[in-house]
Amino acid sequence: MSEAKTAKAPVVFERSYEATVEELWAMWTTRDGFEAWWGPRGFRVEVHAIDPTVGGALVYDMIAAGEDEIAFMKREGMPLSHGVRATFTEVDAPRALTITSVIDFIPGVGAYENKIRVEFSAEGTRARMVVAVDAHPDDEWTKRASAGMESQLTKLPDALVSRR
Amino acid sequence: MCICAFVKGEAFLALADPTRRQIIEALRGGERPVNDVVAELDIHQSGVSRHLRILREAGFVSVRVDGQRRLYSLRAEPFREIDAWLAGFRGLWEARLDRFGDALAARRAKAAKPVTKTKEKKR
Repeated sequence: MSEAKTAKAPVVFERSYEATVEELWAMWTTRDGFEAWWGPRGFRVEVHAIDPTVGGALVYDMIAAGEDEIAFMKREGMPLSHGVRATFTEVDAPRALTITSVIDFIPGVGAYENKIRVEFSAEGTRARMVVAVDAHPDDEWTKRASAGMESQLTKLPDALVSRR
Repeated sequence: MCICAFVKGEAFLALADPTRRQIIEALRGGERPVNDVVAELDIHQSGVSRHLRILREAGFVSVRVDGQRRLYSLRAEPFREIDAWLAGFRGLWEARLDRFGDALAARRAKAAKPVTKTKEKKR
């Protein structure tokens, strides 16, 4: 594999929840927490490894579960289940974490790192979460978005663009 | 591969450079000759020309020859494509973070439920 180069175009999201920082942290760093929300609508996630230490693995399957999603994946000739491997590259519990994966499968595009960085902070009785996501410079996304299929996109998991 | 995919791939690289973003800012008001851009950015003309060439190749800028002058202007298409693409990307994450909030609330509600005590048998 060629050396990964970074193609960053981070998109930042900020949310505030009635919760503690530790509770938010657990949603990202425990099997139960991660499986409870990560899968897109119509998909479920099965975590095989989640090790929130620097260099620790995050390995999971993204599995189409909804009727529409299964039909969509079949129509697009995509597998119903897709394995994803990522690594925790920054862990500062419970304040910040970074999950990194290498995208090296897009024809004509060199390998690049994709990062998701999350920061947590207390805000009175609430907790704030800032998520900075590298946008995928990926053909599939672009084709669908430019074809006016944004609504369809919300049904698709990252797995579609992480397909190897 | 469709043209939009090509534009997108080039777009990220083209926009990664701060000088090129400055040039885009400088052209937001409309068509300008290269000398105007050089004067505004205070960068050597060869540098500005090089960046303009990269922006042109990535589809962000078009050039029109007017006598001795070369006039540069922004093209709307790649910006619209990036907008549409980001809207889809952003939509996925907004939905994902909605689910994060729902799952968090469900866990908190479950944790807050009073534990049902087993009644002690009367002796």
